[in-house]
Amino acid sequence: MTKEERLKKRHQAEKRFRFYGLTSIFVALLFVVILVQNIFSKGSSAFKKTVITTEVFFDQELLEIQNGASQEEIMEADFYDIMIENLIKAYPAKDRDEEDELLKLFSGDAEIEIKKAFLNDNNLIGKTITLDLTASDDIDQLHKGNYPRDLPEERRRISDFQLVIYDYFVENKKISKNFNNYFFNNGDSRDPELAGIGGALVGSFYSILICLLLAFPVAVLASIYLEEFAPKNKITDFIEININNLAAVPSIVYGLLALQILLATIQLPRSTPLVAGITLALMTLPRIIIPCRASLKAVPPSIREGALAVGASKFQSVFHHVVPLALPGTLSGTIIGLAQALGETAPLILIGMVAFVVDIPSSPVDPSSSLPVQVYLWSESAERGFVEKTSATIMMLLSFLIVMNFIAVYLRQKFEKRWN
Amino acid sequence: MSNIKIKSKNLNVYYGDKQALFDVNLDLNEKEVTALIGPSGCGKSTFIRCINRMNDVIDICKVTGNIEMDGMNINDKDLDVVSLRERVGMVFQKPNPFPKSIYDNISYGPKIHGKGETKSELDQIVENSLKKSALWEEVKDRLDEPGTSLSGGQQQRLCIARAISVNPEVILMDEPCSALDPIATAKIEELIDELKKTYTIVIVTHSMAQAVRVSQKTGFFHLGKLIEVGKTEKIFKNPDNKMTQDYITGRFG
Repeated sequence: MTKEERLKKRHQAEKRFRFYGLTSIFVALLFVVILVQNIFSKGSSAFKKTVITTEVFFDQELLEIQNGASQEEIMEADFYDIMIENLIKAYPAKDRDEEDELLKLFSGDAEIEIKKAFLNDNNLIGKTITLDLTASDDIDQLHKGNYPRDLPEERRRISDFQLVIYDYFVENKKISKNFNNYFFNNGDSRDPELAGIGGALVGSFYSILICLLLAFPVAVLASIYLEEFAPKNKITDFIEININNLAAVPSIVYGLLALQILLATIQLPRSTPLVAGITLALMTLPRIIIPCRASLKAVPPSIREGALAVGASKFQSVFHHVVPLALPGTLSGTIIGLAQALGETAPLILIGMVAFVVDIPSSPVDPSSSLPVQVYLWSESAERGFVEKTSATIMMLLSFLIVMNFIAVYLRQKFEKRWN
Repeated sequence: MSNIKIKSKNLNVYYGDKQALFDVNLDLNEKEVTALIGPSGCGKSTFIRCINRMNDVIDICKVTGNIEMDGMNINDKDLDVVSLRERVGMVFQKPNPFPKSIYDNISYGPKIHGKGETKSELDQIVENSLKKSALWEEVKDRLDEPGTSLSGGQQQRLCIARAISVNPEVILMDEPCSALDPIATAKIEELIDELKKTYTIVIVTHSMAQAVRVSQKTGFFHLGKLIEVGKTEKIFKNPDNKMTQDYITGRFG
C-alpha cells in the first residue's frame, strides 16, 4: 500500500466514524421526539375540562335551609333536588326518559358543585346564578374530539338523543372548555372527569421528602467516612464492591425487602408515603454514595495536604476544606438519585401503593398514591378519559424530573470551584 | 557553627515492601537553608515529609529510626502531629492555595490554632505574613479575592505566607519553584534569603543553580541513600564522592 492510499484509508475511517456517530445521535433524538410528541398530543387536553353553563335557581321549597345558613348546615343539607330541578331545565326534555339522558351529560359531582356555589355565597335563596358545571367524561371526550360520533349507536357510549342535546348546547354556546383544576386538586376517582393527581402529588412529595431526610445524611456521612477516614483494607474493599452491587440491584427487590421487614415484621401502615420513603431511601442510598464519593475523590490531594501542613487535624482538613469543595457534586448526585426515586414504580406497587385512594393524604402515615403508580393505575383503566390523564401525569412527572436534573446541573456548574 | 535544629539518625522509610530511605543521618542547622538535591525518586521529598510527619497520610508508609527537633523525637507515636505541624510548615511543589479568599487562606492556620482571637489580631497576622512573603503590596487591596485568581508565582508566595502565618520554626519546601517561570523563581529565591533570618529552611530542588544560590548546606541523595552532605560551596566545587561529582556536572540524573 502506498503512503497516499494509507492516508486515504485513514481519512475514510474517520469519516465513517463521524457518520456512525451522527446517525446514532439522530436515531436517539428521533425516539425522544416521538415519545414527547406522543405524550403531549395525548395528554395536553387533560389540562382542560369541558363545562356546561347552566342556570341554577335556588328554590326555597327544595331546600331545608335558610339564607345565611352556617357552613355546617350547608354541608349537611341536601342539594339533590335543587340539582335535578335545575339540570333538567338545561334542555327542553319531553319526558322522564329524556330527562334521565340529559342528567347523564353532567358529572357525578354536579350536586357538590352547586353546593360549593352556595357555600361561597349563602344568600342565594330565591336568586338565579349561572354556573359552569363539569360535564361527564363522555361529553368531555366528545367535545375534545377524542370520541368518534360516527359509530353506530349500539357501539357508542353516548346515545343519539344525547348527541342531539350536545349539539343543542354547542349551538347555544353553553358548552366550553375551562382550566381543569380538578386534575391538580382532586384525588383519584372512578370518574375520569373528576380524577386528579392531587393525592399522587402529595404522596410523591412526602415519599421523596422522607427519602431525602433518611438517605442524604446517611449517604454523605458514609461516603465521607469511607473516602477520608476508613483504612484501605479488605473490609473496606468488600464494602465498596457491595455498595456498587447494591446500586445495581433491581428496585423490585427493595420492594420485597420492605414488604417483609417494614410491613410484615415492623407492621408499619401499608400504602403510606412513610413506607415508600423508607424503601426509596434504601434504594437511593448506594446511588447517592457513589457520586458523593466520586466528588470527594475529585478534590485534589494537594488541598488536604495544604490544610494538614498548616496543622489542621484530619477532621478539620476534611470538614473545612474537602467537604465544602465536594458539596456541589454531592448535592447534584443526591438530586439525581432523588429524581430516580421519584420515578420508581415497582417497589411502591409491592408495598401497596396501588390501592385506590380517593382522599388526599394529610400526613405521611395516610394511605396514598404516587405519581408513577398513578400512571400505572390509570394506564390500565378502560375509560377514554384516563388515556389523556395518564399522559398528562407522565408530563407532570417528566417535568419534575427535568427540573430536578436541571437544578443538579446548575448546582454543579455554578458552585464547583476550580483549582489552579 | 550554628546550632543543630533537626537531627536524623538511621532514618529508614518503607512504602509497603519498598524501602525508600536507607539509614539517613542528616543534621539541619538552625536559621540556615539546607538544599536537598538528587535525581527523581531518590527520597529527598520522602525525607522532608518525615520532618512534619506528612508521610502519616500514606497508609502503607512506615518510618523507623530517629528524627529529632530540639531534642524532641518527631517520630514518637504519641507525638501530636497537629502541634508538630504548627512548628514545621510546608510549601509544596505545585502552589495549592485553598479555593477561598486570600485573607482566608492565611487566617485559616492562626484560626485553628487559636492564634489571633480578635479580628484585628487576625488582620495583623495576615498583613505580617503577606509582608514577610513579599506579597502584601500586590494584594493588599484585594484580600477578599480568591487565592486561586493569583498568578502561579503569587500563589506560591501566598502558600509561603500561609506557612508563615502560624509562626513556625522550620519551613519545608518541596521543589517550590518547579512550576514557576524564571522571574517568579527569582522572587521566591530572594524571599528564601530573607526568611532564613527567622526560620530554618529545607528546600528540595532539581536546580543546581538554585541550590547554589539559596543554600548554605547541601545534601545529595541517590536511590534512597544520603551520598554526601556538606557546605554548599564544597559540594559544588569539590565533592568528595564521585557520584556527587557526576550528578552536579550533569552526567546522570
